[in-house]
Amino acid sequence: MGSSTKGVNGNYDYSFKILLIGDSGVGKSSILLSFISNSVQDLSPTIGVDFKIKQLAVGGKRLKLTIWDTAGQERFGTLISSYYRGAHGIIFVYDVTRRETFTNLLEIWAKEVDLYSTNKDCIKILVGNKVDKDKEREVTREEGMAFAQEHKCLFLECSAKTRENVQQCFKDLVLKILAVPGLLENGSIVVKRQILKQKQVYNAPRVGGCCS
Amino acid sequence: MWRDPGVPGDSFYEVRPECTDVPKSRFKIKAGKTLSVRKWQAAFTPEGYLDISKTLSRIQHGGIHPQIRGEVWEFLLGCYDPDSTFEEREQIRERRRVQYARWKEECRQMFPVIGSGRFITAPVITEDGQPIQDPLVLLEANPGKGVLIPPQDGVNGNATGSSSTNTANNLEPVKDKKIIQWMLTLHQIGLDVIRTDRTLVFYENQENLSKLWDILAVYAWIDTDVGYCQGMSDLCSPMIILLDNEADSFWCFERLMRRLRGNFRCTDSSVGVEAQLSNLAAITQVVDPKLHQHLETLGGGDYLFAFRMLMVLFRREFSFCDSLYLWEMMWALEYDPDLFSMYEEPDAANEKAEGSKGKAKSIRKCGKFERENMRNAAKNSEDLPISVFLVASVLKDKSSKLMQEARGLDDVVKILNDMTGNLDAKKACTGAMKLHKKYLKKAKKA
Repeated sequence: MGSSTKGVNGNYDYSFKILLIGDSGVGKSSILLSFISNSVQDLSPTIGVDFKIKQLAVGGKRLKLTIWDTAGQERFGTLISSYYRGAHGIIFVYDVTRRETFTNLLEIWAKEVDLYSTNKDCIKILVGNKVDKDKEREVTREEGMAFAQEHKCLFLECSAKTRENVQQCFKDLVLKILAVPGLLENGSIVVKRQILKQKQVYNAPRVGGCCS
Repeated sequence: MWRDPGVPGDSFYEVRPECTDVPKSRFKIKAGKTLSVRKWQAAFTPEGYLDISKTLSRIQHGGIHPQIRGEVWEFLLGCYDPDSTFEEREQIRERRRVQYARWKEECRQMFPVIGSGRFITAPVITEDGQPIQDPLVLLEANPGKGVLIPPQDGVNGNATGSSSTNTANNLEPVKDKKIIQWMLTLHQIGLDVIRTDRTLVFYENQENLSKLWDILAVYAWIDTDVGYCQGMSDLCSPMIILLDNEADSFWCFERLMRRLRGNFRCTDSSVGVEAQLSNLAAITQVVDPKLHQHLETLGGGDYLFAFRMLMVLFRREFSFCDSLYLWEMMWALEYDPDLFSMYEEPDAANEKAEGSKGKAKSIRKCGKFERENMRNAAKNSEDLPISVFLVASVLKDKSSKLMQEARGLDDVVKILNDMTGNLDAKKACTGAMKLHKKYLKKAKKA
């Protein structure tokens, strides 16, 4: 699994912050679980924000991904927006069997991101989930591609259930992030900052002597 | 000393065999510690007056036997006054059941799926009141799935939903803003109902799922300030499992929401729970200033990482059974004998409180946490529920780990996430009580 708290101390070249965004029940948490632990199971609705860490190597670089998973109900929007800051990548998820989840990306979520995300170069990927339910499909692949082109996003269709294309979503996103110099710098700045912080913090408990 | 190893509580809330990932419960039914059926019944006089103080100490220490959980909760949550007779309570129960049925009928008239034993997961209306003929809603008309839109009985007897025009033609545009607002929440409730406590065998039964949907939908109708907010299904689900009668479950949930609805009230710029999060910050600053400082340095001074713990009262950090155990300990500790009258006649209770604060209330009948508040004449004690101290105690417990290992906000969340299934409800309550005491002491000095 490669993600441990102790392993945070700089055994990676870049650290990227990724956000999962989209309507309730489109499968954001399931995609994340499928990516992190290769497992598939029924999940409870996400309350507020949750997150997971994944370390992986891409193109010879060791990466740490911090992936923030968000609640889908619109009223949490303002709360979640405080987490948009500094994101390197954003995964917009919709459910190919529910058209309104697709239209809401445009009408609600893309606007929120434009409003609150602070990384101008941030990479976006549009992901249509639940392709395993092809019979119930309401949004065609072509519509997804057109949306992606219009909004300068990457695009993939996947199934958290069968795990088809799930790894690919993250891989495509990360490769694109790695190809943008501005973001790369940003990713390593985060690392530097964390190391700096680490130094400050490291002394604090000792001085205080409050560890038991 | 002879120690009872206890009977595991999990057997009362059966988990689907294929769900192997569910945390094990620590709660055990222990003779002499857990409030037993016998002890509970013995606390009533023949007329039905309940000596609640006898039961509170048991609950604070060992929880409640699952067999009587529902009826004890009704008292803990203030549905009933312990100082009343069986007969009086039966009358109230009857009245409330009628009231619930009336509200449910109101809802059914607006949207006939309510009370039909089915529910929907796709939007049924646009923000400007136009009915939506979502293909999914029509798909949900497949009786095999259990999730359905019903035939529009009374309006068009033979419309089974198989024809979109039939269903749509029956629905006029809705003009009333309140109704539109309510109808907009219905599919969100459905989407959450199908994902709530699905590891339990209980919710394999479609009837129970639609009960959960009905109760949340009726609640959303009567509490328009809150409506429906994600997290509420986590709070409502246990009530349906513990109480057989749907109306009784509703009222228990309604009482719980009286305590918690502030957290769910949203404005354009904030979620209600943020007020509790700043209380949490204030408490941590007092009881563990170094930790608070550290969290602030990491950019976590808003304590948003504790959002979920407060919203769904630790349901995600504990197993199902242990969260019930935790809740009842919390409510017993917080118990205030005026709860019933406060909810029932808010004006009368205010007068009483202003007139002779503390006198009318017997300290003996209060939970330990409430007693502590009374003794210290704590200001704003209503704004500081035990749940906030619980979070503070959990944080304090992890203080050295957080100080040493957390280099960023993500580490904080990770350390807290890793607690899932590893927390001890009893210890958390004891910890919360200690912090509460410490906090009141320091607050007094300041």
